[in-house]
Amino acid sequence: MAIKKLLFASLLICSMIQSSHGATKERLFTDLEKGSLEITATPSRTGEGVVLAAGIDKLSITWKVSSTATKEPEFKTIKVKLCYAPVSQVDRPWRKTHNELFKDKSCPHKISSFSYDPTVKTAQSFDYTLERDIPTGTYYVRAYAVDAIDHEVAFGQSTNEAKTTNLFSVQAISGRHKSLDIASVCFSVFSVVALVVFFVNEKRKAKIEQSK
Amino acid sequence: KPERAKSKGLRRNKTHVLSQEERVFFSRLLGTIMAHHNEDEGSIGTSMHGVTAREQVFSFSVQGEDDGPSSHTVRFDDPTAKFALPVDSEHRATAFKPFSFAKPHMRAFHLGWISFFTCFISTFAAAPLVPIIRDNLDLTKSDIGKAGVASVSGAIFSRLAMGAVCDLLGARYGTAFLLMLSAPTVFSISFVSDAGGYLSVRFMIGFCLATFVSCQYWTSVMFNGKIIGLVNGCAGGWGDMGGGVTQLLMPMVFHVIKLAGATPFTAWRIAFFIPGFLQVIMGILVLTLGQDLPDGNLSTLQKRGEVSKDKFTKVFWYAVLNYRTYVLFLLYGFSMGIEMTINNVISEYFFDRFQLELHTAGMIAASFGMANFFARPLGGYASDISARFFGMRGRLWTLWILQTSGGIFCVWLGRATSLPIAILSMMLFSVGVQAACGAIFGIVPFVSRRSLGLISGLTGAGGNFGSGLTQLIFFSSSRFHTADGLSLMGIMGMIFTLLVAFIHFPQWGSMFFGPTSDEKKSKEEHYYAAEWTEEEKRQGLHEGSLKFAENCRSERGRKAASDGSSPSTPPENGNPAHV
Repeated sequence: MAIKKLLFASLLICSMIQSSHGATKERLFTDLEKGSLEITATPSRTGEGVVLAAGIDKLSITWKVSSTATKEPEFKTIKVKLCYAPVSQVDRPWRKTHNELFKDKSCPHKISSFSYDPTVKTAQSFDYTLERDIPTGTYYVRAYAVDAIDHEVAFGQSTNEAKTTNLFSVQAISGRHKSLDIASVCFSVFSVVALVVFFVNEKRKAKIEQSK
Repeated sequence: KPERAKSKGLRRNKTHVLSQEERVFFSRLLGTIMAHHNEDEGSIGTSMHGVTAREQVFSFSVQGEDDGPSSHTVRFDDPTAKFALPVDSEHRATAFKPFSFAKPHMRAFHLGWISFFTCFISTFAAAPLVPIIRDNLDLTKSDIGKAGVASVSGAIFSRLAMGAVCDLLGARYGTAFLLMLSAPTVFSISFVSDAGGYLSVRFMIGFCLATFVSCQYWTSVMFNGKIIGLVNGCAGGWGDMGGGVTQLLMPMVFHVIKLAGATPFTAWRIAFFIPGFLQVIMGILVLTLGQDLPDGNLSTLQKRGEVSKDKFTKVFWYAVLNYRTYVLFLLYGFSMGIEMTINNVISEYFFDRFQLELHTAGMIAASFGMANFFARPLGGYASDISARFFGMRGRLWTLWILQTSGGIFCVWLGRATSLPIAILSMMLFSVGVQAACGAIFGIVPFVSRRSLGLISGLTGAGGNFGSGLTQLIFFSSSRFHTADGLSLMGIMGMIFTLLVAFIHFPQWGSMFFGPTSDEKKSKEEHYYAAEWTEEEKRQGLHEGSLKFAENCRSERGRKAASDGSSPSTPPENGNPAHV
């Protein structure tokens, strides 16, 4: 029966997907070393009530390894991410903060990822232009230090622990386009006009036939 | 002389051959009666010509054939009519060949169900793209939930109005109007920039779900009463599949558009043009290839005879007075309603809970809706089989079992923490709940004969109502995690399914009680004739109901055969009208 085949196929596929998740299940955020990385994110435009425009404005991100870092020898890669501030997580469970790292949804946007050079001890910085698929919201920046087996070992963030300071707001692109609007109107008009034309035509033909 | 008798649908094998005078007399009598009986479903405002399972039959006893006249009288005497399928005296097809596209019957069937399918695609097109839309428009969970409620609410009203529209304009224009006037609403998604706009557009798109009515109307005028159950079941089930296909189609289209270079927040808007195009194309196909009636289009045919319709107020009154209407309304709300709710929430659920890719989540969500292809007809079939042995009691128990198991698997789906288990429970849930939809329409035709159209329509509206209600309670606020919402919805469904026990027919009993022992009330005729006043009975308007009553004695189950009462065929052959 079709349903048996469907069930079997989906079970097979999904057990394969399932097994790939196994390795990262139990690692917790609270296990990571806090404050190992000192990171600051300066928006290109600052001020009271300034909202950055996605796709246009930049962040200047400066980071360095803190003197208090103990796991520094394990660092292999630094992953910098854009994270949602608590105010942008309200009534949006798909952005929720979870302690299990693999479940945590609060930092979905990748800014940059580069290998860690232990010889450079001074602060390094780079620029990041806000991507065009960043949603409207309030953000901060967090950097994870990742070891050789791709497990996070330490992190640092541009805001305080309560995530209340140094936040910046971003306004997303609207996604609308004039050409899209015009196309939409054209096709709508075509649809209505085609219907009316058919209708009128047929009524006319019926009248002609009746009068015959 | 045999040809004449046959063309009127009479078989000579049983009793008498009509003399010329008898034939003239009866055909005149018939004319008036036919006009009355088929109008109870078709009159303007009763809304549901075409949702009926069976058209009525002649007033005097005829063995076998069920020739129901349609509400639009047609010429029967066209000797040059050549049809690809065997037809009855009204030129309605008596065979169903799904692989044929022959004009006009099978073509109407395919145009009808594909139009309905296209509208399901449009209505639920947003659901698999919600993870992108919510970021673009900065939506909260309550915004998403409210829009979901709005998307199914419009059809509650449009479905009730659609029957009248089809009566006035014919099935072709009814379908085309809906398709081509709601296509602009689909295109207008490109203008949406906030939660309010999103909700309004989804509300407006939702109106097009009334194509269900025009589809069933069209098949009812094209197909003979004996097979209309199966035909309507297929049309309904295959149309409902659109809710599943859209979960697969939209993410794929979105992905392709992104690959072509568009940024996500623009790509999803462009993706909506696909359902829009489909609607316009289907509208044009319906107008150019379709035909209202077997003999031609409505406007080019002459209407013959007086067509006196049954009064809407009467039909409405008897529907409203019958408590079973409300029970079915609620029951369908927790089978079809839950199905539509799942169409709206399941893709986002899999995307968020199991961290899947958008198109993977879409694929899984699609298999829920696509199970309709066989699950719905299966439910109707199970209902018919159980009726063969246990009569109406069998049908009620079948419904209860299917809908409750659907509820149980829904609870399991909410509890599942691993992907394989979630998919397994979802598939079992889909079969249970969709078969329950089929089983409900195995019972609807028996609730009333006079108000059948309206009750079918109200039952259908109950589906939309249930969907709006469950989305509002469980999926519109942050009060419940979506997983808990699913489980609670399953429990609520199981509680409401207990209402099946309250459906009691004096002539057949209910789940737990047998038929009434009262000699008079335990006859089917009494139940169906009770819908007509004495005055109307004197005019002979209730003849169709009496004939129906005689035909449904098989709902007594095996006892019907042993009773020695007339071994007539049950009114449905396969699956009755599906919403």
